[in-house]
Amino acid sequence: MANIQFKGIHKSFGSNKIITDFNLKGNEDEFLVLVGPSGCGKSTLLRMIAGLEKIDDGEIFINDIKINELHPSKRQTAMVFQSYALYPHMNVFENMSFGLKIEKRPKDEIQSKVAEAAKILKIEELLDRRPKELSGGQRQRVAIGRAITRNPKIFLFDEPLSNLDAALRAEMRVEISKLHNQIKTNMIYVTHDQVEAMTLADRIVILNKGKIEQVGTPEEIYNDPANIFVAQFIGTPKMNILEISEENIISETTIKFLGLEIEFNNIKFKKTKHYIGIRPEHLKVNHKSAFTFIPEVELIENLGNEKIVYIKNEADQLSAKISSNEKVTNKVGFDLKDIFIFNKNGERIKL
Amino acid sequence: MRTKNSILFTLITSFFLIFIVSIWKILATLQGLNIQSFNLQIIFIFGLLISFANLRIGSKIKIFYKSIIFSLIFVICDGYIIQKLPLWYNIGIFIILYFFVNKINKYSFKDLKEQHSTQVIFFDFLTLFGILFFSFVILFPFYMMLITSFKTQIALLVNPLDFSINFSQDFKDLFKSYFVIFKSYKFGQYILTSTIVSVGTVIITLIFAIPAAYAIARLNFFGKTFMSTSILIIYMFPAIVLVIPLYTIFSQLGLRNSIEGLLIVYTATTLPVAIYMLQGYFKSIPKELEEAAILDKLSWFGIITKIIIPLSIPAISSVALYVFMIAWNEFLFSLMFLDNPNSFTLSRAIQYLSGDAETPRQYLMAGSVIVTLPVLFIFVYFEKYLVSGLTAGSVKG
Repeated sequence: MANIQFKGIHKSFGSNKIITDFNLKGNEDEFLVLVGPSGCGKSTLLRMIAGLEKIDDGEIFINDIKINELHPSKRQTAMVFQSYALYPHMNVFENMSFGLKIEKRPKDEIQSKVAEAAKILKIEELLDRRPKELSGGQRQRVAIGRAITRNPKIFLFDEPLSNLDAALRAEMRVEISKLHNQIKTNMIYVTHDQVEAMTLADRIVILNKGKIEQVGTPEEIYNDPANIFVAQFIGTPKMNILEISEENIISETTIKFLGLEIEFNNIKFKKTKHYIGIRPEHLKVNHKSAFTFIPEVELIENLGNEKIVYIKNEADQLSAKISSNEKVTNKVGFDLKDIFIFNKNGERIKL
Repeated sequence: MRTKNSILFTLITSFFLIFIVSIWKILATLQGLNIQSFNLQIIFIFGLLISFANLRIGSKIKIFYKSIIFSLIFVICDGYIIQKLPLWYNIGIFIILYFFVNKINKYSFKDLKEQHSTQVIFFDFLTLFGILFFSFVILFPFYMMLITSFKTQIALLVNPLDFSINFSQDFKDLFKSYFVIFKSYKFGQYILTSTIVSVGTVIITLIFAIPAAYAIARLNFFGKTFMSTSILIIYMFPAIVLVIPLYTIFSQLGLRNSIEGLLIVYTATTLPVAIYMLQGYFKSIPKELEEAAILDKLSWFGIITKIIIPLSIPAISSVALYVFMIAWNEFLFSLMFLDNPNSFTLSRAIQYLSGDAETPRQYLMAGSVIVTLPVLFIFVYFEKYLVSGLTAGSVKG
């Protein structure tokens, strides 16, 4: 039950600009995921909300209250750290109740709050253990439990799953998703993993070099990327991008790529460089596609349920994701609706 | 490979056996036993036989029975038949042999097949040689000190090189020197002064060192790097350079012959190393822990007392131990600043007594034992805190 708003946030470490002019308005009870390559400033942004990092310029509001100068503990946020940051000399109960104890809350209130959080996370039987006696997943739960007992308006997650192994990560992802359904509060989640972003988020904020590339629901981001960076960042394997040089722009409506001359009826091309994007999963082998070409197969990676085929067509390198019972025999095809067109600056031209 | 390794193994083990048995024989001679010869060749042959037999038998017989049988054979042959030595000597030999057989038991013919096993055996026994040799070198003076303190004036004059203890005299005579130094030399008071000075130094040093080390480890302030690197520069000044200016200053301030004066000097000399040791440890504590504590509404003071100090118990206790030992054993400053016997520390008192020709030597040695014992006990007690690893499990593990 809170909303967060960023107005013109700037942050730099020395001469190194981390975040430039960051503006965003969050919705109530929203699961917001900040995603981007490492060094894009997403963790710094989270730490600025928590109050662990000073805000150079700009304002952050929580429920329309400016929090720039508030002490970290008064911002009604709780943070789950990548490294868990559990106090090693305290058991799980003490870890979870430490903040409340500092606030000198009554004992039975502490007891009931910890019990409630432990029940949500199913860690009731671990309460008298020390962090070193817990597994990675259990430690992560305790760290989340510690955040819950603080009863925050906004949960902040700083790459909480990156220290877990793949199986546990998938499990905890589901748990965090359930947790958000259970306790309806705002969550801001930082990750570099696009799968986590796609599965968890109500809205995704894609950051690159301290700037927002796109904000939108997972569907919007996947189906309607704003530029090449977003298009390539979301989806595995990443989107194939083909460069269309000037001489391949045949007319205002017709361009040539992959050896095919394709005519678009709702777009006017300028005589400059363009880019064409096709997702690997949209390259098909045995469907009757509108356009087909005959490629050369370079390498096949079999993932069990599907195959990733690296193909070559003259100078163009592409990857295609096909079902594992299919084979690249002859033709590879695609439909016009699956084509993304970008201008020479990498921005999307909508059809 | 196996033959070569086996020969080497038996040779090394036999030399090792000669070494430990010889140490025992030397100690036995000091206790007054009249041993004609070391019988090295016999021990050598026995060593060869035992280690070879051990390899042959392997794990066919339980290790307990094997050790007992080997040890008994050795004791009977060497102690009773060849040399006819008393029982206590043979019990010692038996224990040594028992240890020895247990030590070589972990090697079998199978291990010796491997090429690198020569090196493993060599370094294994080299380590043992080292431990035994150096502990002998270090413990022997202490042994002499202890022996001398248990003697009477007459015994010392009759034979100063007699290293045996006469256990037949009654308890009071045995510990006579200890009673005397407490009764007529005021050693109780010296111990008290030394304790106050040492414990006081530890407390004051920690009170100053913990915040200072934390500041250097975590906070950013002007001149931080200069300060942290220059801390140890104090150690480049030899104490003897400082002692004369300090003497004049202390004389004028009236701090000579006072515990306060000593506390100031000792704290000043131990503080740099204490800060240096602690800040290294503080840096190893993950920063996220403190950030989590900030979010838990802890103040800076709270972070130090509730997070940093509990997590640094191993480092703090080793610093405390180090500071205590420095202060307890310190001699130069106490020699210069204390000249009134009423404010002597232990080390100063012993120096004072040894300067007096009339003080019998056994009393001095009893005093030395008293100086040494507390440090030994404290070290044994604190040892468990020195084991680090308290931070295990806090962050990714």
